[in-house]
Amino acid sequence: MRRALVVGAGIAGIQVALDIANSGYEVVLVERLPSIGGHMAQLSETFPTLDCSQCILTPRTVEVGHHPNIKLMTYSEVISVESVDGESGKLGHREAGEQVTNLPIYQSTNLPEFRVRIRRKAAYVDWNLCTGCGACQEKCPTKVISEFERGMGQRKAIYVVSPQAVPNKPVIDAEHCLYLTSKQGNSTTGVALHPADIEAGRVSAVGKPRRPRCGLCARVCPTGAIAFDQEDALFEERVNAIVLATGYDLLSPTRLPEYGGGRLPDVIDGLAFERLLSASGPTAGKIRRPSDGAEPKEVVFVQCSGSRDPERGVPYCSKICCMYTAKHAMLYKHHVPDGHAYVFYIDVRAGGKGYEEFVNRAAEEAGVVYLRGKVSKIVPQDGRLVVWGADTLSGQRVEIAADLVVLATAVLPAAGSERLAAMLGLASDGSGFYVPANAEIRPVESHVPGVFLAGAGLGPRDIPETVAQASGAAAKVLKLFAAARREGDEESEGNTEVME
Amino acid sequence: MSKIGVFICHCGHNIAGTVDVEAVAEALRRVPGVALATTYKYCCSEPGQKLIRDSIQEQGLDGVVVAACSPAMHETTFRRAVASAGLNPYLCECANIRELCSWVHQGDPEQATAKAIAIVQTIVEKVKRDEPLEMLKLPITRRALVIGGGIAGLQTALDIADAGYPVLLVERSQRLGGKMAELSGTYLNFEAASDLLAQKIEAVTHHPRIEVLTEAEVVEVSGYVGNFNVRVGRLGTDKLVNWEGQAPSTNLPMYQSTELAVGAIVVATGYDRYPLSALPEYGAGQIADVIDTLAFEGMLATGGEIRRPSDGKVPREVVFVQCAGSRDPEHGVPYCSKICCMVVAKQATMYARRVAGGQAYVFYMDIRSAGRGYEEYVDEAMQKHGVLYVRGKVSRLFPADSKVMVWGVDTLSGRPIEVAADLVVLATPMVPSAGTAELAQRLRAATDADGFFAEAHPKLRPVESLTAGIYLAGAAQGPKDIPEAIAQASGAAAKVLSLFSHEEMTQDPLVAYVIEELCSACGTCVEVCPYQARSIHPVRNVAIVNAALCQNCGACVVACPNKASQVFNWKPEQFLAMVDAIF
Ligand SMILES: Cc1cc2nc3c(=O)[nH]c(=O)nc-3n(C[C@H](O)[C@H](O)[C@H](O)COP(=O)(O)OP(=O)(O)OC[C@H]3O[C@@H](n4cnc5c(N)ncnc54)[C@H](O)[C@@H]3O)c2cc1C
Ligand SMILES: Cc1cc2nc3c(=O)[nH]c(=O)nc-3n(C[C@H](O)[C@H](O)[C@H](O)COP(=O)(O)OP(=O)(O)OC[C@H]3O[C@@H](n4cnc5c(N)ncnc54)[C@H](O)[C@@H]3O)c2cc1C
Ligand code: SF4
Ligand code: SF4
Ligand code: SF4
Ligand code: SF4
Ligand code: SF4
Repeated sequence: MRRALVVGAGIAGIQVALDIANSGYEVVLVERLPSIGGHMAQLSETFPTLDCSQCILTPRTVEVGHHPNIKLMTYSEVISVESVDGESGKLGHREAGEQVTNLPIYQSTNLPEFRVRIRRKAAYVDWNLCTGCGACQEKCPTKVISEFERGMGQRKAIYVVSPQAVPNKPVIDAEHCLYLTSKQGNSTTGVALHPADIEAGRVSAVGKPRRPRCGLCARVCPTGAIAFDQEDALFEERVNAIVLATGYDLLSPTRLPEYGGGRLPDVIDGLAFERLLSASGPTAGKIRRPSDGAEPKEVVFVQCSGSRDPERGVPYCSKICCMYTAKHAMLYKHHVPDGHAYVFYIDVRAGGKGYEEFVNRAAEEAGVVYLRGKVSKIVPQDGRLVVWGADTLSGQRVEIAADLVVLATAVLPAAGSERLAAMLGLASDGSGFYVPANAEIRPVESHVPGVFLAGAGLGPRDIPETVAQASGAAAKVLKLFAAARREGDEESEGNTEVME
Repeated sequence: MSKIGVFICHCGHNIAGTVDVEAVAEALRRVPGVALATTYKYCCSEPGQKLIRDSIQEQGLDGVVVAACSPAMHETTFRRAVASAGLNPYLCECANIRELCSWVHQGDPEQATAKAIAIVQTIVEKVKRDEPLEMLKLPITRRALVIGGGIAGLQTALDIADAGYPVLLVERSQRLGGKMAELSGTYLNFEAASDLLAQKIEAVTHHPRIEVLTEAEVVEVSGYVGNFNVRVGRLGTDKLVNWEGQAPSTNLPMYQSTELAVGAIVVATGYDRYPLSALPEYGAGQIADVIDTLAFEGMLATGGEIRRPSDGKVPREVVFVQCAGSRDPEHGVPYCSKICCMVVAKQATMYARRVAGGQAYVFYMDIRSAGRGYEEYVDEAMQKHGVLYVRGKVSRLFPADSKVMVWGVDTLSGRPIEVAADLVVLATPMVPSAGTAELAQRLRAATDADGFFAEAHPKLRPVESLTAGIYLAGAAQGPKDIPEAIAQASGAAAKVLSLFSHEEMTQDPLVAYVIEELCSACGTCVEVCPYQARSIHPVRNVAIVNAALCQNCGACVVACPNKASQVFNWKPEQFLAMVDAIF
């Protein structure tokens, strides 16, 4: 039986898994969050067609959830990989970061085999019993700042990531659950995604005063699924190919001190703005600024925040932010027609089907004001934010008093990708993104036989590019499996018809 | 009496924010034949589907209506859920109360609720009269046709053939490689475009499962996914020498034409350069020393000295003009050609490296170097190779002595700029390759507003065309560079491999059928069917339907004078009952 491991279940991993599974092979899909979808699940509408992101994503997540060939392991992480066969046996000896160039195109018909250890975090809920009824989440008294809502909304200590989550089974956040913290003697101070939120005083556990042994969820659960004694579980899977689809993270605003360093509540990043735009977001799709819930009338968008800036951020261009900023500014104007949107840019990078036209629509039809220049500083003043910038076209200094500032922060490789790369002996180029075997003609293969790459883990990219490329990675796996099937000891399955 | 279950979805705020879903449920409970009407926050979620499954089993429902989003979104989801509860999936229908109702009547909850009730009622009447149907099974010919032998076509062919299936690769020019064969180097590898390409061509031409036909074209396509019939014409060599720009014609004499059955078709026909003569404002086509990037690519490729066309002198000052014709709806094309910012950076760098003391200028609007390592690459062109980037448009270009004068404005300093150039290189747009429209017609595949092949969904189905079984690879779908073309070409191969991994395929049974007793074989339906799905059976002398081709459009139903033509589960009495339900 040929099987593939796909690490990361954003749209890239989902696409890879579906393409392989639909071809009749088994896929183990590992995702570290409790549910799948990745960043796409957080987006409101997508450029350039303004399709609702959830709406086009859920058919895929649902398909993954039901697919007989996909073994979905969420809330799980790969902890080690060992090569079993001789061919990729070198794997263990390769130094992380060692450059291997010009390896021959993979030709071996020996199917690689990997032994993969996977740790599933304790969810404290027995998912086999849980029906996803939601009663526990309703009753849980502990509210926690939601990572999914980028710190702008709340969830309970027992939670599912989003209403349409697949799988729709809750996990208990052991750091905040009253029962578990009292049991383990943990403290209940709030820990959220951004240390900046804590500094800004936006984060604290809002729950009732600490009370030992709450256990409410266990009491209301109709199926007795709550399992406070659940522990992390270790699994071992044998697979013949690995696809890394671990995606990206955004640069933390704390790294941008001149833009408030994450201390100004009304300076938010692009994903936070997506949540504000989203009908299922913390403001139910109304544009409200975090500090006081007012509707912002002057909004400044700052492109290249930390990108193209080797001194303070990253040297590369994050590729997607010009487009999503145009989308943000346009959608903002749709929501708040009497508001003003300003975009600071260096170059507008709109290379893609319909992209140029989309940006033109933002500027011409929606009336978004594009200013070519850099923002030097953002300072709070009388409840507003003063944005200091330069318009390099007129050569003049610009000062805008804004109600909300949205930073298009740099795209970074997902935390932990370097560890995975090192584990597999992949080459590294210092950026932390995965390095393909040949950037130009082998864009989805790694240097290691049997290991393939997909999605934003290879560098920033938008959804269409991610999806096309993810299918590309799937093709490499299918090719490997099919070749092995042909040469292998199994019967030829009658699909090697020779052309007359 | 039917026992129909109605599930009304809140879709979070999307529906429930406007439509009073409880009122809809209340109203539906009063409809005869409705055994259950209930609401749920996200019907498509796992617990939502479970609710539907459980209700079917517990209440013995014989029909299901999910009042939610467009059936295009989740019809499959709900039908699958229904099937897993043991009910025939075609007894489940979606009533669209989101796109058709809550989203368009946001300000008017009362009317929206009334409309939602009406919509759901009609679908209830439909479901009452739906018949259980079985999936159709169709055979698959596991052989692929790849049209176009550029880097994209080569990659697709290799991926499919390596996985064990035979491939026919049809290329209309004399050689494989497409535009990549005309390049000097790639961005990251100045010398080796031809080496990289040669590897692929070598692999393709020696592959036991790939047959290559050059100077050939696909002249006819019939059939449907899994079972296409294509006729490939090989054209006389003499007719093809001056191929560039000439529209392909099926009337050209052919010395050979082969018919072949294939299961899948990948279109990899690439792009063409924009004709220089269409850019008179740049003096293009009139001034010998105004050339396009592909021509400059040819000069760089020779490896020797760079010499300008007019007098063979080594150019000392070269001006590159980006977006020459792109992003310019009035004079050229409205879109951005995506690759030329990088191509220009590459060419300017190569020029600077080859011609000591030469100066390269680049006029640009925005520098679009978004891609791994691309930003750094352009920085290096500026900093290390001294290429002068000027942000602004060229306003005039004219010959003066042996030079080409370039007038422009630097929009950053606001100052006019004048360069006396020895050579001007225009980064002209990438346009769909000649004959794309005709080929699209033959394939019954759609093209987009710019003339490139249109993908099935701009986000999630970028390598499929809207026609089942026809996939897209490379620049045929829109401007892209080599890495993107290759990744996408492999993506197209994955779709073909998925299709071929099955012995047979299944198809939705919602197609037209003929009530033979009523059919007079008049042939009206044969004429009106836009998908060539109808024919008259030669022996039985009645109209028949090729279910694999039928797209369920209903044209035949309307056209048939004898009411002999119908579509499964869209029968006239269903429509009438639906209308009666609300008027
Ligand atoms: C503000 C913003 C707006 C955007 N808007 C658009 C838009 O309108 N249109 C568009 O086309 N694109 C848009 N994008 C880009 C889009 O988000 C990406 O193209 C897409 O999400 C990339 O998908 P992915 O699967 O590669 O990565 P991700 O979505 O990041 O998914 C990666 C997945 O892998 C998981 N993972 C990571 N590491 C591990 C590990 N070690 N083990 C297990 N699992 C792991 C993660 O939890 C995650 O689920 C936008 C991006 C941003 C930031
Ligand atoms: C000046 C210039 C420099 C470039 N430099 C670089 C670079 O450095 N790096 C990079 O990554 N990219 C570069 N590119 C882009 C690169 O050329 C394309 O990405 C690549 O060629 C696309 O490959 P393709 O196979 O999709 O299309 P093409 O190369 O156009 O191949 C299409 C093939 O299909 C054939 N064909 C067309 N129609 C039919 C038909 N009806 N029937 C049969 N066959 C047909 C054509 O004859 C051709 O062989 C450059 C482009 C230009 C213009
Ligand atoms: S024990 Fe209490 S705090 Fe913990 S998850 Fe259950 S209900 Fe919430
Ligand atoms: S109450 Fe029990 S069954 Fe319901 S969602 Fe919570 S854990 Fe699952
Ligand atoms: S995509 Fe645009 S905003 Fe983002 S880093 Fe690149 S140039 Fe800046
Ligand atoms: S890629 Fe650059 S030069 Fe080409 S059209 Fe786009 S912006 Fe202009
Ligand atoms: S429904 Fe449309 S496609 Fe089908 S047979 Fe009738 S006319 Fe042809």
